[in-house]
Amino acid sequence: MLRYIVKRFGQTLVVLFCVSVIAFLLIRLAPGSPALMLAGDGATDEEIAEITEKLGLDKPLITQYMMYMAGILRGDFGRSTSYGMQVIDLVKNRFPNTIKLASATVLFGCILAIPLGIIAGSHRGTIIDFFSILFALLGQSMANMWKAVLLIFIFSVNLKWLPSIGMDGIEYYILPVITLGWQMSAEVTRISRSGMIDTLHEDYITATYAKGIHPLVVRWKYAFKNAMCPVITCVGLRFGTMLAGTIIVEAIFSWPGLGQLLNTAVNQRDYALVQALLLLSGTMFAVINFAVDIINSLVDPRIKLK
Amino acid sequence: MNINLLLRRMRRNVFFISGVLIMTCMVLLLLCLPSLLKYDATSNALTEKFMPPEYFSRGFDGHILGTDQLGRDILARIVAGGRTSMAIALVVVFFEVVIGTTLGLLAGYFGGFVDTLIMRVCDVLLAIPNLILAIAIMTVLGSSITNLVVVLCFSGWVQICKLTRNNVLVAKNMEYAKASQAIGATNTHIMFTQILPNVTTNILIVASQKFGQAILTESALSFLSLGIAAPKPSWGNMIADGRLYLTVYPWIAMAAGIALMFCVLGANFLGDGLRDVFDPRH
Repeated sequence: MLRYIVKRFGQTLVVLFCVSVIAFLLIRLAPGSPALMLAGDGATDEEIAEITEKLGLDKPLITQYMMYMAGILRGDFGRSTSYGMQVIDLVKNRFPNTIKLASATVLFGCILAIPLGIIAGSHRGTIIDFFSILFALLGQSMANMWKAVLLIFIFSVNLKWLPSIGMDGIEYYILPVITLGWQMSAEVTRISRSGMIDTLHEDYITATYAKGIHPLVVRWKYAFKNAMCPVITCVGLRFGTMLAGTIIVEAIFSWPGLGQLLNTAVNQRDYALVQALLLLSGTMFAVINFAVDIINSLVDPRIKLK
Repeated sequence: MNINLLLRRMRRNVFFISGVLIMTCMVLLLLCLPSLLKYDATSNALTEKFMPPEYFSRGFDGHILGTDQLGRDILARIVAGGRTSMAIALVVVFFEVVIGTTLGLLAGYFGGFVDTLIMRVCDVLLAIPNLILAIAIMTVLGSSITNLVVVLCFSGWVQICKLTRNNVLVAKNMEYAKASQAIGATNTHIMFTQILPNVTTNILIVASQKFGQAILTESALSFLSLGIAAPKPSWGNMIADGRLYLTVYPWIAMAAGIALMFCVLGANFLGDGLRDVFDPRH
């Protein structure tokens, strides 16, 4: 177990290194000088000189990377030109809101999708199965922005039941959570369905049936556990991407999270903020990935032997 | 594989049939409509803005799906936007398949160092959220069609590469591959004429799903005005425009949203259907 954790931890570090290199190179790939871009429009010569000095832009690339990483480890992600604040403070303010939205979505998606997938998988070819596939395909085929616009049109504009912007109470969660949750549950339904189908063909399931155990117990107790590994992976990865901020949904519903921050950053060409958010999202994703693999190896001990 | 058996499975598969129907209709409409329509996708007519859909009350002469905030004909924009999106998605999927298949063949066939190197690159690309990376790169590089294609291809080939590699690992140990090796065939010959034809079905299935994904990602980027930039139409930026007028002029966003949904749905139906037809166990 320990060997597996150490090995996965090492791989995670490599990924984090690559993510930091990509975020670092991003600004330097752009046409024009990085100092000009980071300082924003209308910056004075002193400000540009200060940034050049701070980033070491006159030094070799390796030294620049070292200086960049040293800054990040001190919590210095640069200054956001559009908000006029330190990037780290902005992220600190917004992060809890994104966590709330992402958690609510994962909860909603799992409660809906896992039972649906399991029922569909244990009753292949029935009408429930057909509708679960249709539900999943629709969820995957409708762009998030289109789902959001449609939900706002139906429930906020026409029926006037639910608010469409802000986060001032529980009712503000409903539309964004359905938008994001539908896409997530589409994937989870498909994966738990096919996991269930595969598992139900295993010998040990036939054996439990042969013992005369009730089919419901076989499905929900014995098959369920083995069908869950890919589902945990999928839910974890979705959670990871959502923690990085769901830019489109947050922008549409004016949800004050990281996604909305990214949207502003993109519109205002606020490069320091874009760079920090890319780094943050990559890190989140890698950490969740690591956690998911450890959880999976606890649920199914065969994994760490591979 | 038995052709008659495949045809019978195709006829019986609801998803496959719907996928083929939707995609055929889409392509035919996008090809034929421009010659029937009177209006241009980008010319403004401020006296005619926010006209509700006239449907076919004036035949093909009216604004069939209405006009937007600048008086541009929505149907003309949907068609023009759809042609761009489809063309971009086709180019993207083509490059993804070429890159993914080649690297997958190399990794699976040669194994060892080549395999490790390619697979590690895949792991890193899979470990970064795609959309955020695409957004970051497009913000820095600026929006242009070339940048869009590059960004969409950047990590899209990974899935195809991994799939090809896993299939090649199985195929290279089959008797036919061993046999051509025994009669002295070159590596290139074995890879491309012996193994490749046996893994194409799976690549085809993933490619049709990738097509839908490329359209979705492109429209998301265009929605954020990072993809196809106004005044050029795209389904994504039409939804973004229409969203602002949702309370009073909902048809602007609806038309583009429905077109986008059908297009991706068609590609996904096709992918799912193909998988059921070729590999009915899953």
